[in-house]
Amino acid sequence: MQLKKPIGVSLAVATAGLLGSLPTAPAAAEEAKDWEMDSTLLFYGEDGDRVKDASLMTSIRRALDEDRSFSLSLTVDALTGATPSGAVPANGVQTFTSPSGRASYDIAAGETPLDDNFLDTRVALAGNWQQSLGEAMRLNAGLSASHEYDYLHLGANVRLERDFNQRNTTLFAGAALAQDTMDPVGGVPLPLSPMQAAIPGNGGGGGYLKAGGSSESKDVYDLLIGVTQVLSRRSLLEVAYSYSQVDGYQNDPYKILSVVDPATGAPVAGPPGSGLNLYLYESRPDSRTKQSVFAEWRYAFDRDSFALSARYMTDDWGIDSQTVDARYRWNISESSYLEPHLRWYTQGAADFYRTVLFNGDPLPQHASADYRLADSDAYTVGFKYGHRTARGEFSVRLEYYHQQGDPSPGAAVGDLAGFELVPPLDAVIAQFGYKFRF
Amino acid sequence: MGCPCEVLVETDAAAVARCVAGSAMAEARRIDQKFSRYQKGSVIHAIHERHGGAFRVDEETARLLDYGAALWRISDGAFDLTSGVLRHAWSFDNGRVEGHPERIPSLLARVGWRRVGWNPRTREIVLPEGMELDLGGIGKEYAVDRVADWAAANVDCPVLVNFGGDLRAVGPPPAGGAWRVGIDSPGAAGRAIKRLELKSGALATSGDAARFIEIDGKRYGHILDARTGWPPKGGPRSVTVAAETCSQAGSYSTLAMLSGADARSFLKAENVKHWLV
Repeated sequence: MQLKKPIGVSLAVATAGLLGSLPTAPAAAEEAKDWEMDSTLLFYGEDGDRVKDASLMTSIRRALDEDRSFSLSLTVDALTGATPSGAVPANGVQTFTSPSGRASYDIAAGETPLDDNFLDTRVALAGNWQQSLGEAMRLNAGLSASHEYDYLHLGANVRLERDFNQRNTTLFAGAALAQDTMDPVGGVPLPLSPMQAAIPGNGGGGGYLKAGGSSESKDVYDLLIGVTQVLSRRSLLEVAYSYSQVDGYQNDPYKILSVVDPATGAPVAGPPGSGLNLYLYESRPDSRTKQSVFAEWRYAFDRDSFALSARYMTDDWGIDSQTVDARYRWNISESSYLEPHLRWYTQGAADFYRTVLFNGDPLPQHASADYRLADSDAYTVGFKYGHRTARGEFSVRLEYYHQQGDPSPGAAVGDLAGFELVPPLDAVIAQFGYKFRF
Repeated sequence: MGCPCEVLVETDAAAVARCVAGSAMAEARRIDQKFSRYQKGSVIHAIHERHGGAFRVDEETARLLDYGAALWRISDGAFDLTSGVLRHAWSFDNGRVEGHPERIPSLLARVGWRRVGWNPRTREIVLPEGMELDLGGIGKEYAVDRVADWAAANVDCPVLVNFGGDLRAVGPPPAGGAWRVGIDSPGAAGRAIKRLELKSGALATSGDAARFIEIDGKRYGHILDARTGWPPKGGPRSVTVAAETCSQAGSYSTLAMLSGADARSFLKAENVKHWLV
């Protein structure tokens, strides 16, 4: 059949005759866009000479149909700056051997020893597959890998969700496996061995008393189970429990502890002829079991929404932590929102955390002066602004982070009482995001 | 109606949803009973019972006959309300397809709106003995439009009327911005090959991806050209068209299927939004 002329008018007239009139609104139908691209650029900057991170994340998601989609994401981080080495300040200049074992650096009297040989690029890739299994079940499975100079991460995860009770209740369970391999600069230091003098030159490599191999690895197993329950037309509660087991090498090979005189707090001499004070490489247990309970309550007002969550974590290293997080999403208009964010975190120290080790005390089996294992409180305050246009949605997030350790730990004897043993940390986070469909 | 009929209503008030659903169900049932050729007591049944005598139809039936006559004119006779008897030459049962082309010539003798006496002024119809009248090609879309028009006039919440994949949206767009509609993938009913977002107006699909026939390795659709008794050659498996009303969308998609290999150029020339599978 070939129609000779446009039929639109004849058809409209015939339809008006059939229905009495035609609607005034034209048809508005579009093909749904299957691809979504989401990119964010994040700057994280700690105060002073400490860590700066620029991170570019881009992910692409493709919906194959209503039930199946996959996504791929790529993240590139560039890290610079210095981190506390774990050693404490002293009244004299302190000399340290850099991780390569080929150079040394000095820290002025009274200053917190920072290891500034910290420059790294990290590349991370993740792939994810999502699909419905029938009307009430959904499966999500993913693979991830990341690589940086001295670190390789490989992981796999799976999550299953099932709706019950007319979709008012959703049970979910997940599992993840990861293997991380460390290949520290200059080799793996023997735990609790003293820092050695640097040996310059390409053939050099002092610094460490080497442990057996040049690389170490750890295995991480995570299990998650939880439930999401619709409480009312406006509110929803999610409760989850997670269990995590980490086996293998968990030391930070660049972290050390100062050994000080128990009366004066002054550093004691290191290996004969090294010219260094005595600093021992840290030693952590090779097994860690973490458990956490998480609850989140979400409430929708007529225009805005609110989310409040709390997490309690405990592990067999003796660390207990609590997090409370609140977000209020203020929908300023149809196309833009402002979301203030408050987060508070508190943590108790690991059993083997030591600000310093005292000369003459028996050497403990495990010890670390990593500030991340110390008693600390932290808060984050910030906001996110988002604006949607016909082409896509952009967002800006600005946050300020402040972390405060115990200002006068029990180890602050003698000279140490005058120093900031666990210096506070301030950081600024700025993130720009752009998301669009095509 | 021979298909799943659903009405989606987005409202906080359960009473409103129940009212819209109840009215839609009643109207769909009324139209089905009044125009089905299978229902005793239907207008179509009554016309057939006259065996060539004149029958005066009510005003609503007259409007449907006028609409069918207009499509017959527009399509140069490819669309025809009397083409139903051609089903005896083809059976499109799920999976098992049988063609009996040798029956076509004798069946064609019983097809042709030209031979029907239809007087729109007196609303009298004379259907020659041996011929059959079938409003199935336009009745479902008409029912969707009737229910949608009722909803547009009586409630102000988002409503989607969906009778077997022919659908129309009235009222404001739903909370998600648009109704999401899937077009079934050929050979896999229930798995959407294309996903559409409908804010307002209607979508109708002709051609059923799961129902086609193959003769000598050539694939034919299941909509028959009333002039030849054969399905057009080389057409798409299915055509989905967007238009203001479901009746228009359904007519465009049927006429596109009847255009066979020219379906795409026909729809382009008509400047209507369309999706071919």
